[in-house]
Amino acid sequence: MKILKALASIITDKRIVLIFRVVLGVIFIYASLDKIAHPEQFARIIYNYKILPPFLINVFAFTLPWVELIAGLFLILGIFTESAAFLICLLLMVFVVAISINLFRGIDLNCGCFSTDPAGKKEGANLLIKDFLFLFLGIMVFFFNKNFASLSLLFQRKSKHK
Amino acid sequence: MRTQLNLSDILLKTALIIMIGSAMGLIYNAVSPGGIALKGNWSPKITSDSLVVPYGYEEDVDPPAISLDYAMMKFQSRKTIFLDARYPEDFKAGHIKGAINLPYEESEEYAPQVLPQLPKEEEIIAYCDGTECEESLLLARELRELGYEDIKVFFGGWQEWLKAGLPVETGE
Repeated sequence: MKILKALASIITDKRIVLIFRVVLGVIFIYASLDKIAHPEQFARIIYNYKILPPFLINVFAFTLPWVELIAGLFLILGIFTESAAFLICLLLMVFVVAISINLFRGIDLNCGCFSTDPAGKKEGANLLIKDFLFLFLGIMVFFFNKNFASLSLLFQRKSKHK
Repeated sequence: MRTQLNLSDILLKTALIIMIGSAMGLIYNAVSPGGIALKGNWSPKITSDSLVVPYGYEEDVDPPAISLDYAMMKFQSRKTIFLDARYPEDFKAGHIKGAINLPYEESEEYAPQVLPQLPKEEEIIAYCDGTECEESLLLARELRELGYEDIKVFFGGWQEWLKAGLPVETGE
């Protein structure tokens, strides 16, 4: 139990949570860039997931990456940190469900997670493990964020000084 | 120091992030030269021969699409080469009897060994999983550019073949 307690105090330490925040933010920004650059390929990948109705595919293809980008950016900068973490967790859960559905269906799938390159190899269960890892980071940030080194803290301080 | 999470505040700001992101995506898509239509056409199509093909298939320019009946006839003639464009794992788990595996996604790696087995003048029928997949079409397009003139695509693919109870085999 002592070990568990020590571990808990480490991973909820404000500096560690800051690292989680930045890492997760960087991952989401990185994941969004290639999709923003190649909306047509990303739309094709969404189409291949066979989950969204066709009329929503294109709209998702050009908005989702930007939502990821903004959420990642806000997370790193510490703007609306809990909300950004909450949104990222929500997206990750959606991704987990989407990937699982297609693993279950046995559809040959190009994930489209980080790259829209059709040669991107399908990874199946590995993707789920990665997603759960990211989800853990998101949950940690959501519950234990102390706004360490964040813009929102800066604003709070300024308003207090007034 | 904040003591507890304020749920409605968090949800409100979450909606705000989604709106900011969506708005930027919408604007970027409108001004970017690579922007796409608001609504795309993604549904599988029916060709003039009543075959179901992926939306990306172009009847006039792409390699001919064939039916299960045609594939079966060619299979019985034993002259036609069946080319499986799926991943090696899927191929090993089961494929059309006598088919050769050339995974489209790993074609750079496999082509040097597989292409010498494919005479350019022979009839080749490419297939992948079913109408949901496009590897067979993409592979057929590439092979045609390499000079394979008589290449066709069996879009019904593995699923239709299996359903029809036609000869299959497993392994390499």
